[in-house]
Amino acid sequence: MPKLTINGTEVEVPPGYTILQACNQAGIEVPHFCFHQRLAIAGNCRMCLVEQEKAPKPVASCAMPVADGMVVHTNSPLAQKARKGVMEFLLINHPLDCPICDQGGECDLQDEAMAYGKDRGRYQEAKRAVRAKDFGPLVKATMTRCIHCTRCIRFAADVAGVPDLGGTGRGENMEVGTYVEKALTSELSGNMIDLCPVGALTSKPYAFEARAWELRKTESIDVVDAVGTNIRLDARGQAVLRILPRVNEDVNEEWLSDKGRFVVDGLLKRRLDRPYIRRNGKLVEASWPEALTIAAERLGKASADRIAAIAGDLCDVESMLALKEVMTSLGSTNLDCRQDGAKTPAAVRSSYIFNSAIAGIDKADVVLLIGTNPRQEAPVINARLRKRYLKGGFKAGQIGPFFDSTFPVTALGEGPAVLQALVEGNHAWLDVLKSAQNPMIIMGSGAVARADGLAILDLACRLADAVGAVREDWNGFNVLQRAASRVGGLDIGFVPGPGGRDLDGILDGASKGEVEVVYLLGADEFDVSRLGNAFVIYQGHHGDAGAGRADIVLPGAAYTEKNGTYVNTEGRVQLGRLAVYPPGEAKEDWRVLRALSEHLGRALPYDSLPQLRQHMLSLFPLFAQVDDVVATAWQDFGVQGPVSGADFAYPIDTYYMTDPISRASPTMAECAVSLAPNPLSKTGTHG
Amino acid sequence: MTRIFVPRDAAAIAVGADAVAAALAEALPGATIIRNGSRGLAWLEPMVEVETDRGRIAYGPVSVADVAGLVAAGLLCGQAHPLCHGLTEEIPFLKRQTRLTFARCGITDPLSLADYCAHGGYRGLERAIGLGPDDTIEELVKSGLRGRGGAGFPTGVKWRTVQQAVGPRKYVVCNADEGDSGTFADRMIMEGDPFVVIEGMTIAGVATGATKGYLYIRSEYPHAIATMNAAITLARGAGYLGADVAGRGAAFDIEVRVGAGAYVCGEETALLESIEGRRGMVRAKPPLPAHKGLFGCPTVINNVISLASVPAILGKGAEFYRNFGLGRSRGTMPVQLAGNIRQGGLFEAAFGMTLGALVEEIGGGTATGRPVRAVQVGGPLGAYFPPALFDTPFDYEAFAARDGLIGHGGIVVFDDTVDMANQARFAMEFCAIESCGKCTPCRIGSTRGVEVIDRIRRGEGREKNLALIDELCTTMKLGSLCALGGFTPYPVLSAIRHFREDFGVAEQETT
Repeated sequence: MPKLTINGTEVEVPPGYTILQACNQAGIEVPHFCFHQRLAIAGNCRMCLVEQEKAPKPVASCAMPVADGMVVHTNSPLAQKARKGVMEFLLINHPLDCPICDQGGECDLQDEAMAYGKDRGRYQEAKRAVRAKDFGPLVKATMTRCIHCTRCIRFAADVAGVPDLGGTGRGENMEVGTYVEKALTSELSGNMIDLCPVGALTSKPYAFEARAWELRKTESIDVVDAVGTNIRLDARGQAVLRILPRVNEDVNEEWLSDKGRFVVDGLLKRRLDRPYIRRNGKLVEASWPEALTIAAERLGKASADRIAAIAGDLCDVESMLALKEVMTSLGSTNLDCRQDGAKTPAAVRSSYIFNSAIAGIDKADVVLLIGTNPRQEAPVINARLRKRYLKGGFKAGQIGPFFDSTFPVTALGEGPAVLQALVEGNHAWLDVLKSAQNPMIIMGSGAVARADGLAILDLACRLADAVGAVREDWNGFNVLQRAASRVGGLDIGFVPGPGGRDLDGILDGASKGEVEVVYLLGADEFDVSRLGNAFVIYQGHHGDAGAGRADIVLPGAAYTEKNGTYVNTEGRVQLGRLAVYPPGEAKEDWRVLRALSEHLGRALPYDSLPQLRQHMLSLFPLFAQVDDVVATAWQDFGVQGPVSGADFAYPIDTYYMTDPISRASPTMAECAVSLAPNPLSKTGTHG
Repeated sequence: MTRIFVPRDAAAIAVGADAVAAALAEALPGATIIRNGSRGLAWLEPMVEVETDRGRIAYGPVSVADVAGLVAAGLLCGQAHPLCHGLTEEIPFLKRQTRLTFARCGITDPLSLADYCAHGGYRGLERAIGLGPDDTIEELVKSGLRGRGGAGFPTGVKWRTVQQAVGPRKYVVCNADEGDSGTFADRMIMEGDPFVVIEGMTIAGVATGATKGYLYIRSEYPHAIATMNAAITLARGAGYLGADVAGRGAAFDIEVRVGAGAYVCGEETALLESIEGRRGMVRAKPPLPAHKGLFGCPTVINNVISLASVPAILGKGAEFYRNFGLGRSRGTMPVQLAGNIRQGGLFEAAFGMTLGALVEEIGGGTATGRPVRAVQVGGPLGAYFPPALFDTPFDYEAFAARDGLIGHGGIVVFDDTVDMANQARFAMEFCAIESCGKCTPCRIGSTRGVEVIDRIRRGEGREKNLALIDELCTTMKLGSLCALGGFTPYPVLSAIRHFREDFGVAEQETT
C-alpha cells in the first residue's frame, strides 16, 4: 500500500486511491465541485487543487492517483492561491442570487465561497447569463447558476444510462442541456438535484417551499417499490415537504427513484382523515366508535369462512400481523397479501426474495431477466445492473416483451416457452448461464402473478439448479418484488391458511355471495368490481379504488406517519419511522386493528408498538435482524405442470402511478402524462 | 526527357503553382512535369526546378506570365534568368540546413513509392523489424528524440510505456491537427513526403504492438488529407500496410480521420475524444493515453514530425541523430519562419541556433524592412521575445528558462508597428474562442482576460488592472486542465513584461 505525506502526516492508503480520497481517509477536507465518488472523474472544476512537491504546478487531487512517497500540502499558500483564483472565477459568472435560490443553505458553492471567496468582485463586466431550460416536471433547471461541473451529465450517461444531457457550445458559451429541449427520461432524474453542487438543478415541485434549516429530518424507508431505499423525510409542521435518499451501500447506494422522491405531494391529497360509513349508497362522515362498532358487528356476525382480508402493497408488517391475528381470532383463514394474484408459496422463503442480495449484482457475470422490467419495477436496482454492465464482462438475457433497457440485453423470447426450453436443454443460452462464474436469475413479480405461476416457479427453480446459480457461496436466484409489503406479508404468513381462500378465491367468493365481508388493508391494486355485494371494510390512507368501493372506511396512516417494519425484496428487515402524525382522526394502522379487536371482544394481546413488536419477534425471530439480510436456506419450490403460451406481462403500466399515494400526487400525474413510456390517454377534458 | 518540378504543396498552390504547372506543360510538351513537395522556401514559391546535368536549378517565384520568358531563356537547360537562383542545393537558406526529417521533402515525387525507397525510404522500418521491439525502442530512447508537438516528452519513453502496457488492443495515433499560428511543418511533410509519416507510424506500431494507426488531420488541410489517403492506399497495395507488413508478419494499418476545426483537438486527449466520436474535450490525466488512450486502450500519440523523424533515426542510427543538437535537445528541429519575415519557410537545423540568427540571418529580417520588434515562438500560446532576447539558443530548456517555449517550432515575426497590447488581447481572445469549456480557469479566465486587457487599453485603472491580469494569468497557469488555458498567460505576460509601454498610458488613469 502506498504511503504518502499529507500536510506533514504520513498516510497509508490502498493503491489506486486518488489524493482526494487519501485526504478524506486522513480526515482532511479538500473542497471540490465536480468530483463525486460515484461518478467518473472529470477533473474540470479545479477547486480541489493541492500542492504536490516536485510537480510543476498544483494538481487536481480528485484525478491524481497516489504514489509512494508523494508529499502533498492541501493548504499551502500555493494551493490556497490557486483555489481562491478558481473560486473568484466561478463567482464572476455565478448570479449570487442565493436569497431566491432553493439550494441556499445546502449549497457547496456557498459553503466554499465562505472559505475561499472574496467579499467583493474585482471584475466589473456583466455576468454571463444563461436562459433557464425546461427539463420536464421534476427538475428545475436554472442554468445561469451552473458551474459546469458536469456531474449531471455523467450521472445521466453512466448511472441512469440515458444520454439525455450533454454540453453544447464551447468555452464561455458552453451550456449543459438536452440539445433539443425535452424532459429528462430517467426514472432516477431526481438524483441530479442532489448531485448538483449549486442551485442549477433543483426540485421543481419543491420550488420555494422551505429552507433546509427549517426542516425536521426523519430517517425512514421508501415504500413505492420493494427496494427498501433508505430515505430521509424532511418535514415542516405537519407536512413532509421533501424526500431525499440516505446512503446505504448494500441497498440503494445513494440513489432514490423519482417516484420515491416526488410522490411526496401525494401525501397531502385525497387523504382519508376520518371514518366514513356508507349510508344510502353514499359515504358519510362517522365517528370512530360508530365505524368500529359496525365493522365489528359485520365481522362478528358472519361465519368465519365467509369473511376475508386482503393486504395491500404499502402495508407495514405490524399492521398485517395485527389484521392476520384479528382474522385468526375469528377463525378465518381467508387471507392474502398477494393482491396481484401471485402464486408465490409463503412456505419457502427463497422462492420470493432476492437471494443474492442487491449487492450481489456486483458479483454476477450473467443475468437472466424473466418477466421483469427492472427499470420500472426497481429503478435503483436497475442502476446497479447498469453499473455492473459498465464494469465489463457482463451479459444479460431477457425473457419477456421488449422494454427500453439501460444496458444491453439479449432478447430470448417473450413467454414461458423459452424458460421451458432452457430447462429442457434446448436453448443456446443455457450454455451462457452454465459457463458463468456467478449466474443470476432475476424473476419479476409479474412472472408468477398468473394462473401457471407455480409451474413457472418450478421451471425457474430447476433452471437455477441446472446452471449452478445456487451454491454454498452463491445464490443467484432472485425474485424482484414490486410491492414494499410483499416479503414481510409472506414472512408472517399473510396467505390462506388450511382451506382458506386466496385472492382469486376471495374475489370469486365475494362475487358469488359466498364471502360476506372483505377487509381491505390498503388494498387497491385489484379489480374491486369483483367484490360483488360483499360488505367491504377499507382501512387505509388514501381515497382510492378500495375506499371508493368500501362500506366502511377506517382512516389509517401513510408510511410517513407511522413507525413500521418493512422487508425489502432481499428479505432485509428495515424500520420506517414516523415523521409527521396522521392527518385528522386517522390513526396508526395497528392501533385501528387493536381497537377493532376490542370491539370484537377478542382484544389483541398488545397495547403498544413495543409490545406488538415483542410479540412479532416471538413468532418470527427473523425480525430481530434489523437492517440485515437474513440467511435463507435453499429449498425446492413450485409445482411441475403445464405452462400457458401467454407472454409474460409486466406489473407496471405507468411507472409514475402504481399505488394510492402516487395516484394522488399532482407531480406524478404530470409525469404520467408527459414522461411515461405509456402515457395516460387523454380524457378529452385536457385543454 | 527533362524533368521539371513544380510543387504540389498547398503553400505553392496558394500562389498559383497549379496554373504554372499547366502553363509549363503546355509550353514544354516534351518535358515531364513532376509535382513534388515544397523545398520550404516559401518566399520563392511557386519554385520551379529543372533537372540538369549540373543538378537541379531553381527558379522562383514563377508566375504564369513568367513561363514564356523562362522557356525562351532556356529553362530546360537551366539557363540564367532574373528568377533563376542557380543550383537549389546551393541556395543559402537550404545549404545551411541539416535535413534529416525533411531529407526527401521537395526532392522526390510524394506519391512515388519507388522514389521514396530509392531515397532511403523504409530502411528505418527494415532495421526496426530486424532489431525487434525492445531494441527499436532502446534506439529511440538513445537518440534523445523528444515530442515535436510542443511538450517535448521523450518519444522512446512514451513508446516503452505503451509497449509494456497491457490492453486488448493498442493504437498509434498521429497528431496532424497542426493548429498553431505560423506552423506548417506537419502539412509540408504530409504533402511532400507522406510515406515517411506512414513509415514512422508503422515503426511505432511494430515496436509497441499496436495494430491500428489513426492519422488525425485538421480539415483545413485538404491537400494533406488527399495526399496521405493516396499514399496509404499505395503503401497498402505494396504490402507496407495491412495484415503482413513488409512480409514480416506484423499487422498494421492506418486510417485518416479528419478534424472539424477545433484548435483544442490538437491537445492529445481531446483529439482522442474526437476520434472516438465525441465532443473535443480534454480528459483529465492520469490515466495517460499510453495506459488508457483511444477507446480505453494503450495508445502511442505523437506529433507528425516526431513520427516522421523516426525512420531517419532508425535508418541512420541513434548515435548519428543524437550528435546533432545540444543538452537535452537532441537532433534537428524543423523551424517554421512566418509572419512579417523576408524569407519565410521551413528551416530544419540542429538545436542550438540562436533566435536572432534564425530571424535576422536566415529569415533576413522583416518583409516590410522595418526593425523587428517582437517574435512569438511556439504558436499562439508561445511567449513574445523582444530582440533583447535574441541570444536565446533554440532548444527546449533555454526557452523554458526565459519563460517561453519552442512548441512546434513556429516563429512569427512582428515589426515595430505592432501593438503588443492588442497581441496580448488576441492571445486571450484566441483562448476564449478555442477553449473547450471544460475547466473553470480556461473557460472563464480567457473571456474575462479580454475584458481586463480592454480596460487597460482604454486606460481605465491601468495599474490595478495590470495587477488583476497578472493574478488572472496566475490562476489560469496554476489551475487549467490542459496547455491551452495553462499557456495562454505566456504571450500575455511576456507582452506585458517586455512591452509594458504598449499597455495604456498612466496619465489617463480614471480611477
